[in-house]
Amino acid sequence: MKKKSHLPFRLNVLFFLIFLLFSLLILQLGVVQILTGEEAQRVLDETEETVTSVPVPRGEMYDRNGNIIVENTPKYAITYTPPKHVQPDEKLDVAQKLASYIKKDDGDVTKRDKKDYWILINHEEAYAKLSDEEKAEMDNEEEYYAVLDRITDGELAQLTEADLEVIAVKRELDQAIELTPHIVKNEEVTDTEYATVAEHLSEMPGVNVTTDWERHLPFHPTFSNFVGGLTSHDEGILRDKADFYLTRQYSRNDRVGKSFLEEQYETILSGQKELYRHITDSQNNILGTELVHEGKQGKSLVLTIDMELQKKIDQIVEEELTIAIENHPGKNRFMKDALVVMMNPKTGEVLSITGKRYYRATDEEPAHVKDESYRVVYDAHLPGSAIKGATVLAGFQSGVINKSTTFFDRPIKIAGTPWKSSYDTLRSVNYLSALERSSNVFMYFIAMRMGGDYTYVENAPLDYDSDAFRQMRNYFKQFGLGIETGIDLPYEATGYEGEVYSPGFLMDYAIGQYEPFTALQLAQYISTIANDGYRVKPHLVKEIRESNNNGELGPIYKVMEPEVINRIEMDQEYIDAVQNGLYRVFNGTRGTAAGTFADKPYVAAGKTGTAQNMIYENGQLVEETENLTLVGYAPYDNPEIAFSIIVPNVGVRTRTGINNKIGERILDAYFELNEEKEGEGEEEVDN
Amino acid sequence: MSRDNTRYNIDYFLLFIVLLLGVVSCLSLYTLQDFLPAKLMETKFYLRQIVWYILGAFTIVVMMILDYDRLRKVAWFLYGVGVLSLAGLYVLPETIALELNGARGWYQTPFGTIQPAEFMKVFLIIILAHVITSHNEKRKEPRFLDDIWLLLKITLISIPPIGLVAMQPDLGSAVVFASIVGFLVLVSGIRWRILLLIGALVAALLGMIAGLYLLFPELVNTVLKDTIFAHVFERFEAFFDPNQNADQSGYQINKALLAIGSGQLLGKGLMNIEVYNIPERHSDMIFTVIAEQAGFLGASFVVTLFFLLIYRIIHTALACKDPFGSYLCTGVVGMITYQVIQNIGMSIKLLPITGLPLPFISSGGSSLIAYMMMIGLVLNVKSRTRTYMFDD
Repeated sequence: MKKKSHLPFRLNVLFFLIFLLFSLLILQLGVVQILTGEEAQRVLDETEETVTSVPVPRGEMYDRNGNIIVENTPKYAITYTPPKHVQPDEKLDVAQKLASYIKKDDGDVTKRDKKDYWILINHEEAYAKLSDEEKAEMDNEEEYYAVLDRITDGELAQLTEADLEVIAVKRELDQAIELTPHIVKNEEVTDTEYATVAEHLSEMPGVNVTTDWERHLPFHPTFSNFVGGLTSHDEGILRDKADFYLTRQYSRNDRVGKSFLEEQYETILSGQKELYRHITDSQNNILGTELVHEGKQGKSLVLTIDMELQKKIDQIVEEELTIAIENHPGKNRFMKDALVVMMNPKTGEVLSITGKRYYRATDEEPAHVKDESYRVVYDAHLPGSAIKGATVLAGFQSGVINKSTTFFDRPIKIAGTPWKSSYDTLRSVNYLSALERSSNVFMYFIAMRMGGDYTYVENAPLDYDSDAFRQMRNYFKQFGLGIETGIDLPYEATGYEGEVYSPGFLMDYAIGQYEPFTALQLAQYISTIANDGYRVKPHLVKEIRESNNNGELGPIYKVMEPEVINRIEMDQEYIDAVQNGLYRVFNGTRGTAAGTFADKPYVAAGKTGTAQNMIYENGQLVEETENLTLVGYAPYDNPEIAFSIIVPNVGVRTRTGINNKIGERILDAYFELNEEKEGEGEEEVDN
Repeated sequence: MSRDNTRYNIDYFLLFIVLLLGVVSCLSLYTLQDFLPAKLMETKFYLRQIVWYILGAFTIVVMMILDYDRLRKVAWFLYGVGVLSLAGLYVLPETIALELNGARGWYQTPFGTIQPAEFMKVFLIIILAHVITSHNEKRKEPRFLDDIWLLLKITLISIPPIGLVAMQPDLGSAVVFASIVGFLVLVSGIRWRILLLIGALVAALLGMIAGLYLLFPELVNTVLKDTIFAHVFERFEAFFDPNQNADQSGYQINKALLAIGSGQLLGKGLMNIEVYNIPERHSDMIFTVIAEQAGFLGASFVVTLFFLLIYRIIHTALACKDPFGSYLCTGVVGMITYQVIQNIGMSIKLLPITGLPLPFISSGGSSLIAYMMMIGLVLNVKSRTRTYMFDD
């Protein structure tokens, strides 16, 4: 059988080859399993730790009497906690299911989002838009962008309403960080949505239903400006302070305080998140989760504000502002704001802080008054004579006047400036009558002497040492005028410094007619005089309290003690003298505010102010207006309340006297309220 | 051949090996079931596999009824049917001719999907065995030119099925066809001179391509881009540097190595699977299931089973007095050898990843039925081989 003789031999050769190949297989199998097997097992056993945080409820705010100003109200929320290394198609799947259960506003969906989604669901069609040559030239990323460019509006129009919802949901899912809960929806989650999602949780890995917190201000809009705002989940942490937050275990999409008290006390209010450590194996399975750090609910703030007083003051200011404007709609056409601060001069506790703005009727809405209390710390106005207490003290301290110095008050003229005078020719005045009757000329002489000129000659130029300006400012700053008051807010205005140092301007400065100050600065200034020269930081937070879970105030964590920033340089003797002058403003026979305050059951002291504030339009004088101000404190002997009032742009000769009227009513209101409280207190004692 | 001896000579050893492979297959699929990705969880692959094995048993019986010699009469007809069914994939509408995983290689039938390439493997073995046998029968003393003529015939017969399959594109199956052809050419009696020459030519060609690629990778990439060979090159790149090519195949091989490696010597035991999400684990990557749970010992046992299976088939080929039977067996050996080496080789990073199932073990009906047809053929050959007292 010669023809077949080759077969057995060749089959044996073949078999030998096969044997070699199989030996090779076994050999390599041995290498993989025995030589490198342990290493593979080690890789498998490797675990990875991830720490995630779960937010805790934010602290609340109360007024000094325990009335709640800011509280948390719970609301339903749907969250997504992505597993490690979740695949895009799994996310799409979750998004599609979730979108079918909840309504999600697609307002934020961008064209790019739509295009990404379109490519995801029409992958082949999308890539068919590229020619083979193009595919050959581009890398994956370039291809993707080229496809993005070529999607037409018509194709995007194919996306249905339902698709848009899926996109909106997927947008949220994409923002989530692995193992960290991300809120997908917390606005207007209905009971049905909540229940439906809860039922189908098992279909959507990572999705959960929970409750989120919403800030609620029962007194809104009273004091709401100073509470401030929070960022939304979308805004997340403030970008310019990102490092600050990120080093404190904040997540990028955490809501944080973005203004006023919410921002100032962010770290106190936000509490400490619960920290969990997740251990995952190399397959991304969670092997275990342990609580690393027990979370702490945010601490609550007890404010210095008395909401009852605050509401009353708000109402008074609103009424007076409205009356003044509506009685003189023409002359008062530039008048719109009224600002009031009330604080304890000794402790710096701010009791009420009011800013109202009048909006005139337009085609859209009738005339109304809005709460814009932030203007108390943001807006600076020329204070007028209200600051003369500081001028007199500067005069004493610099030695240019003493208690027996008198000047003859009459119009005076310096070369190159207009005539300067008081509102009337007051004749001979000393420091007391100068304050009582608000002599400008007395203040001019102080300024001139500080500049080095002791001999006034009509229409002659002054000897003038421009360092006097710096000196005068320096005195003023000791009262808080032109410098931060130190209030516990992220921002406060300090006014503007004039840049011209001519003697005429120094004289204007001495009567509050050159540099503007905020209402809060005026309040600190008068408090400093009332407090025997001690300048105290005004503050809005009285105590920080621990929170307990039932939403009531917990134990005290910290009490904000009064903080003295500085004591003015002036001797007690001079301070007493100026206090006496301020007493006479409110109580003297010729005091500028005596008509209002002399007969009150309480004894108050203070200073009125009127600053000229001409309104020019295109270089033309269109209205003469004045800033009417009033600062004061009471009781005179043992001050417990100090206040400042600024009403800018009151029409000249409208004789509203709005500063005095507001002053009278707020002091009345303060003492009435005090009496009521004391009455209650006594009853309690009786019981 | 005369068949005066009617005693059926059944190779129970071979059957026993196939049975063991079946048990390994069903067990592997059963243990894998809970670790499959969610979208595959619904399908109970082990139950399906049991059903396919039962159908496979019937197939063996059917294949043994008729004398294998009669296949020579229908060899051309079967070949025609096979080629037409492959061509049909390009002609018939998409509802019938399915595209799965990017390759157009399946028919949709009421009983499930059918992959004609699997059956073509059987038909190709039969027609080549027939043609080689006929060629040699006519030429007792073949001349050089006769050998060339045989080679040409084999080539002409092989080109249509290999081309059709490669175009799907299913390069894995194309190479299986080529390996069947290769094994048969080797035993067909063609002179060593010619075989060595062909071998040298092929080696030179491959070397040239590899050299070109190493020297001018970008040029090769550009030329090959969007041809089926680009895909081949990607696979090779992933093979050489799986971490840099974190695409599907790089990921697949890394995961597979992790699973097989961590099985170590003794394995983790049944139902202890630690590595998840290996793509195609129930089909192409089934070997990782065995190696992870049964370790080196279990994996080697399965490799040995395949070796014994091949040994038994070669044994049959050697024992057979009829060249047609020997050629049939050799074709089957070619197919099984290549698939086993390729599939296990790619799982343990000996070879680049190619989408090929592990015979008898991977989940899949068409292929299993095709292998059972071949086992039936081999048993048929064996049973009709008269054994002499002093033989063997």
